[in-house]
Amino acid sequence: MSTREWGRDLGLGFRFAFTGGREGWIRVLLTAVGVGLGVALLLLTTAIPNALSVRHARDNDRADHTYGPVRPKAANTLVISDTDTEFHGHDVRGRLVEPEGPEAPVPPGLTAYPATGDMVVSPALRELLGSSEGRLLRARLPYRITGTITEDGLVGSRELAYYAGAKNLAPKIDGSRTARIDMYGLTGTPPQSHADPILILLVLVVFVVLLMPVAVFIATAVRFGGERRDRRLAALRLVGSDSRMTRRIAAGEALAGSLVGLVFGTAFFLLGRQFAGSMEVVGISVFPDYLNPSPTLAALVALAVPAAAVLVTLFALRGVVIEPLGVVRTAKPARRRLWWRLLLPLGGIALLAPMIGQGGSDGQFNQYLVTGGVLLLLVGVTALLPWAVEAVVARLHRGSVAWQLAVRRLQLSSGSAARMVNGIAVAVAGAVALQMLFAGVQGDYTKRTGQDVTRAQMQINLSDGTPFRTAADQFRTTKGVRKAVSLGSASLGEKDWKNGPGDTTLLVSGTCASLRETARLPSCRDGDAFVVTGGEDDAAVTKLARPGRVLHLDADHGAGKGPDVRWTVPAGLKPAHAITSPNGTRSSAVLLTPAAVPDRVDRLLDGTVYVMFDKGVPDVSEYTRNTAAKVDPFADVMVWSTTEESRNFTSIRTGLYVGALCVLALIGASLLVTQLEQLRERRKLLSSLMAFGTRRRTLSLSVFWQTAIPVALGLLLASVVGLTLGAVLLKMVGSPLGVDWRSVLSMTGAGAAVVLVVTALSLPPLLRLMRPEGLRTE
Amino acid sequence: MTPPPGSLLTARDLRKAYGPTVALDGAEFSIHPGEVVAVMGPSGSGKSTLLHCLAGIVPPDSGSIMYDGRELSGMSDAERSALRRGEFGFVFQFGQLVPELTCVENVALPLRLSGTPRKKAERAALTWLERLEVDDLGGKRPGEVSGGQGQRVAVARALVTAPRMVFADEPTGALDSLNGERVMELLTDAARSTNAAVVLVTHEARVAAYSDREIVVRDGRSRDMERAV
Repeated sequence: MSTREWGRDLGLGFRFAFTGGREGWIRVLLTAVGVGLGVALLLLTTAIPNALSVRHARDNDRADHTYGPVRPKAANTLVISDTDTEFHGHDVRGRLVEPEGPEAPVPPGLTAYPATGDMVVSPALRELLGSSEGRLLRARLPYRITGTITEDGLVGSRELAYYAGAKNLAPKIDGSRTARIDMYGLTGTPPQSHADPILILLVLVVFVVLLMPVAVFIATAVRFGGERRDRRLAALRLVGSDSRMTRRIAAGEALAGSLVGLVFGTAFFLLGRQFAGSMEVVGISVFPDYLNPSPTLAALVALAVPAAAVLVTLFALRGVVIEPLGVVRTAKPARRRLWWRLLLPLGGIALLAPMIGQGGSDGQFNQYLVTGGVLLLLVGVTALLPWAVEAVVARLHRGSVAWQLAVRRLQLSSGSAARMVNGIAVAVAGAVALQMLFAGVQGDYTKRTGQDVTRAQMQINLSDGTPFRTAADQFRTTKGVRKAVSLGSASLGEKDWKNGPGDTTLLVSGTCASLRETARLPSCRDGDAFVVTGGEDDAAVTKLARPGRVLHLDADHGAGKGPDVRWTVPAGLKPAHAITSPNGTRSSAVLLTPAAVPDRVDRLLDGTVYVMFDKGVPDVSEYTRNTAAKVDPFADVMVWSTTEESRNFTSIRTGLYVGALCVLALIGASLLVTQLEQLRERRKLLSSLMAFGTRRRTLSLSVFWQTAIPVALGLLLASVVGLTLGAVLLKMVGSPLGVDWRSVLSMTGAGAAVVLVVTALSLPPLLRLMRPEGLRTE
Repeated sequence: MTPPPGSLLTARDLRKAYGPTVALDGAEFSIHPGEVVAVMGPSGSGKSTLLHCLAGIVPPDSGSIMYDGRELSGMSDAERSALRRGEFGFVFQFGQLVPELTCVENVALPLRLSGTPRKKAERAALTWLERLEVDDLGGKRPGEVSGGQGQRVAVARALVTAPRMVFADEPTGALDSLNGERVMELLTDAARSTNAAVVLVTHEARVAAYSDREIVVRDGRSRDMERAV
């Protein structure tokens, strides 16, 4: 068979696609829209790595490392303070800046520094501050807006960010949140972090799981209107076209649809890209021009989609007999064989097996084997499902008329029923496996913070020099706050910190009520001092806290460059027993009531306020943050939770949820089109059934059974394959096997819900098609 | 309206239009039990519309249809469906058999829709398939039988409920003359043996020859030819 013949037949089909009148155009349009949606999703996927790398590069360019040694003031230095905050769950990147000389570098996105009391803001923050929703944030950022940060200073279109001019920042330099710098951006190559193999595995599997149903969807889309087309092709047989030529001509028609689909997909992608600039997903937004598909991957999509269209059509038509008189599929199709269908999932397991137990800290997964293995297992679902549907429906017994009509139809064409639910089954199988993997490794990525949220919900670390004793009073008068406790603390060493402190213990100061949050005190009044044992380091406190002993206070957070501040342990220390403090620690320490703390020591204590509030008061955490900003603009505010999940882990999981939703919606749309098409095909039959008095309920129920049976089988198979894949993946990462039944049920439930919605949406057209008008031929 | 004495189904001044196209324009019709009436006319004359109106499938825009003393237009959709299920039988040009059901299941379908148990319905279906000389096809699907055989199965399906009226719309339109004639013989013989009235829409004179009387429809108007066999 020559290439010329192929080209001629494909070309003929291509022309037929556009010359088939209204019906032909509708078919091309349906295919093109379906393929277009899939292509847009594929292009978006190929653009994501680029978008993330642009975000990463932008973030690197504006990096302002506040950690490290303090450099001297110069013409090219500035003092910068990290004042990041959070508002209604969104991160707000904030910087207070004070240039110290004319050559101080300007960060990307700014042309000049704002004057003291002014700020330049990102467009999204400007919008938020101007709206009623941002009223509380406006109170926290009381600066005059004088400019806008341009795109090169932001990592996303919806990023909330500001630079505010400030003065007298130098005394706040602490080597952590406030620092003197002379450049923005990273110097040299950023250290290559060793990528976590489990996270890489998760990302790979998420991509395969999400893209596989898209591929299934595209394969379904190129078959839209197939049955009607087959009848049309019979006319070609009449004028001498052989069956192979006819199939190639049909493939040419599908090729036309897929090429128009590529154009549609590009258009959908470009439109979607513009739309993407105005939205934020899981806290990440991008500028439209970040979303540039990788040229190689885009070229691959452009080649793979038409090629898939041709192959799918040829494959689909292999069991269809197109006769010159238009008889299509006259006999019962040949029985499906199980053996080769089983080879696919078994091959997938074989590919994954060598990587079992490779998930340790030094482990590496072969990306090709992982992708190939997962792909084969999921393709296995699409291969096994038609066999399973055929095998099961062949054994179904007779029942009501509706049941009989459905079962008989499934027995006659189980393939098209299985195709309808293939996409859902693949998506559910993949999602079940991933949920299992997520549940299995969640423990590794979730750590207990030890924070006791019943005693406090927020911790505010005050900056150096902020009077912590009075701070608590301001929090107590904040709307919704029930209780605020402030404590000051510092480390005590046995020697001068310049030469290493030797043994160390903790000094904590607060009112009697505050100190009772950290220790069980026998009695307490101002002027008392306590030595607390029963905590994490009794030996050091017992050794150091001896009356008359001179201890050395850590004056600059362990750097050893501050003055040597000495403190003599007073006589009359009362013994006390440590209890777990609100932040989860149980410290052996020296506790001092305010009157027992000398002024020179008091000034050096790090203040912390623990706040407990009434969660029922709307925006109570925002009110508390506003108070924190008022008390100390440099304060570090932390919201407490009992557990903390790794950010990467959370992002991947959120990505899966969002992706799974998009994929299910896409598949739902394809299901609906297929369903409607099948109904249209049966229009005359439905009308004649209606003519001899068939109840609408009977036919509606038969449509329901016709969908529900393959869906139930599909979801069952998907669960089995998903659980198998999940078990293999868990073995690969070395986690104990466990099934998260809730997620299995929720994923299968979501799949079933999509099908139910589709069935419900197809009922009105079904009822319309059952009208007697269908019997009219003129 | 008073129907002619002894008539089973009578229609007066039927009018029906599909958009700007007038399908029936004052058509009249009546039929007695056991009578076979052929409705003839060229394509697009309105004969199928007349059949659909008479069978209660399509409501006319105006006019009256009396069946066994009951006015069809006064019935609800559910009542008309029940009437079609229990007392009417249908044969269409292409059989319109349900492709996924076997021939015996197709014939049994109207009985099952009326609530007859499956086994009893299929026994009755087999009897009718036998009468129409296609009992060997019972286990086959419509796609596996010829056009003539399929049409006989369709006739069996129309008669299995022992209807008082059979509506046949071009029942031999898709068959060769030999098969067509055999189907007509079987249909009319079976109908007469059960005293069922048959409304036979056709444009072929040789098919109409099996009727007792002819009505010609042209431009939506009917004319009774009052031809006795």
